[in-house]
Amino acid sequence: MAEAPTAAEGFPPLSPIVLVTGKGGVGKTTLAAGLAEAAARRDGGAVLVEFGDGDSGARVLGRGSKVRHEVVEPRTALEMSVGRLLGSKMLAKVFTGNFAVRRMLRAAPALRELAMLDAVGVIADAAKGRRVVVDMPATGHGLAWMRLPMQMRDLFGSGGLYELSERLVRRLVVPSACSVVVVTLPERMVLQETLELCGALQREVGMPPARLVVNRFPAELPPDAIAQARALAASSGAGAGEAAEQLVALLEARESARAEALATLRDAPSVGVALRPLLLPVAAGDPNAAQVAEWLLREDAA
Amino acid sequence: MSLRTIVCAGGGGVGKTTTSAALALALARQGHRTLVVTVDPARRLASAMGVAVDAEVHEARVDQASTGRLFALMPEPRRSTRTFIDLLFADEPEAKARMLKNRVYLLLADAAAGMHEVVSLMLVAKAIEEHAFDYLVVDTAPSRQGLDFVSYPGRLATLYEGRAVTWLGNLARGDEGESSGGLFAAGRRRVEGLFGRLVNPTTLADLAGLFAELAIVKDRFARLARVSEQLLLGDLTRYLLVAAPTGSAAADADYLRRRLKRLGQRPTALVLNRADESVPDWLSALETAGGLAADLAAALGTVHAEFHARQRAGDHLAEVLGKSVPGVPAVRLPTLEARDPSQIVRQLADRLAPRLSLLAGV
Repeated sequence: MAEAPTAAEGFPPLSPIVLVTGKGGVGKTTLAAGLAEAAARRDGGAVLVEFGDGDSGARVLGRGSKVRHEVVEPRTALEMSVGRLLGSKMLAKVFTGNFAVRRMLRAAPALRELAMLDAVGVIADAAKGRRVVVDMPATGHGLAWMRLPMQMRDLFGSGGLYELSERLVRRLVVPSACSVVVVTLPERMVLQETLELCGALQREVGMPPARLVVNRFPAELPPDAIAQARALAASSGAGAGEAAEQLVALLEARESARAEALATLRDAPSVGVALRPLLLPVAAGDPNAAQVAEWLLREDAA
Repeated sequence: MSLRTIVCAGGGGVGKTTTSAALALALARQGHRTLVVTVDPARRLASAMGVAVDAEVHEARVDQASTGRLFALMPEPRRSTRTFIDLLFADEPEAKARMLKNRVYLLLADAAAGMHEVVSLMLVAKAIEEHAFDYLVVDTAPSRQGLDFVSYPGRLATLYEGRAVTWLGNLARGDEGESSGGLFAAGRRRVEGLFGRLVNPTTLADLAGLFAELAIVKDRFARLARVSEQLLLGDLTRYLLVAAPTGSAAADADYLRRRLKRLGQRPTALVLNRADESVPDWLSALETAGGLAADLAAALGTVHAEFHARQRAGDHLAEVLGKSVPGVPAVRLPTLEARDPSQIVRQLADRLAPRLSLLAGV
């Protein structure tokens, strides 16, 4: 078995653009807002980019945050990108207003995703060195997003969409300009899948993730708790014994989930991921951006 | 009996897949032949149910009471574009071979968001033509966009039912099209000119080629699209909104409710996972008894605090959703911890059994 990642290795610095990716429901939005909040506290300002209607980021950030919250509507993003390519908003309107073109754009999701990445580049250009944290959509994993500009560049070969893809490869698929932060949960299969993706990010696009955050990590139980619960179950009469057995089952399930997750993370280097995981503990509720920011700053991971 | 469909929708991480499996199990235990389809297969759950992740319907083995009546279809997301081609071009080997070499296809094979949902539905459409089921339980994708696939087959179908494909084909060949005069043609030429600035001729030819191949199988596609639409929007379809106390649960549920409304649907019930109604009796009993060793007492404290936090979060969720989705009955479920996911499915099915008339119209 490989050595456990050691705490002595610090985290690599994050680049000006940070893409936060992961499956739905793993806490991406919370972590993205936390990263932006931490950067804002340190640098005096930061930008959080969200795709869609934008209510999630606003809710997690709360009032009084110094983070600027940018909401990108995917359909508008495509129109804006086309406008920049054609050199005029009006031409873009004529173009995207065409019946056949509109139908094609609606059925070609890869183009919309390319435009969303383009929007990130434009926001970063305007951010003047402030950190830009992007809460990536749950659809499509980080690898697919990072591969897209190269694929589109190779597909188009020349023309406006080629130039756009080429620009995005140079702007985003470069570790010094853009970091990928992967969020996951401690459940074994989810973790395993995530680690394989992390390895592929490094091998296939040269973008090893800068952070791996395991959210809702169960707190460690006192060492003798399970043995004591077993002893109680063995020594008690019918009623109390049953209650103790329920407790044993619960504690065992918890402990084995925790041990499995740690073992999977220890074996991570076998899939080519050599990074120290950040274990965000199960909070007594739903943490907000400020709480996550404090945790990240404490861990020296912001 | 005609097929009844239950669609489970909800944001990510709310336990939709487990809930769908448990609901299907509860129906199968009552004697109904049930097929559960997961759009985002959890491999651990699949293996716990004895089901392969592929494009076939498999009998699931979860318990004795459901034997022979519970079936699952868990398509592999990474193979979905290929499955799509296999399905559509089953009788057209030459067109299929051309399609598999098309550069645009090769790109889409990897990047097409939404494709997997469409393919899953098509596999369902095929499955129900081949087998008889009483119930179909659909586990949607784990995001707000989970319901987009309801309209996606129709969107793809209109793409080449209309003029778009002809137009693209003419453009790739450099044709003027059927009419070359008048205002309409002038407008079109302008758009074509703009198109040429974005995409080079080779790619355009590949794109047109792709649509030409698809046009060969458009009748097959249209039929599968109609069957899927019927399944999702027919009179015998129910929608369940699944939620859990995660940060975005309430906002997600509200978004999905509005999305359903646009589809002319209304959720039949809310299923609230990990929304414990109370700290379990056995836990309180142990605490009252007292006299516990130090480590055990500390562990009990941790566990109690977590139950309590979930109970408060569950109360809050029920209250918020009661306001945003008024008049829709809620089924509140406790957190279940077990090592084996099939054990969780069985326990959840026990809890759902008394509510089947509400959830499934049994």
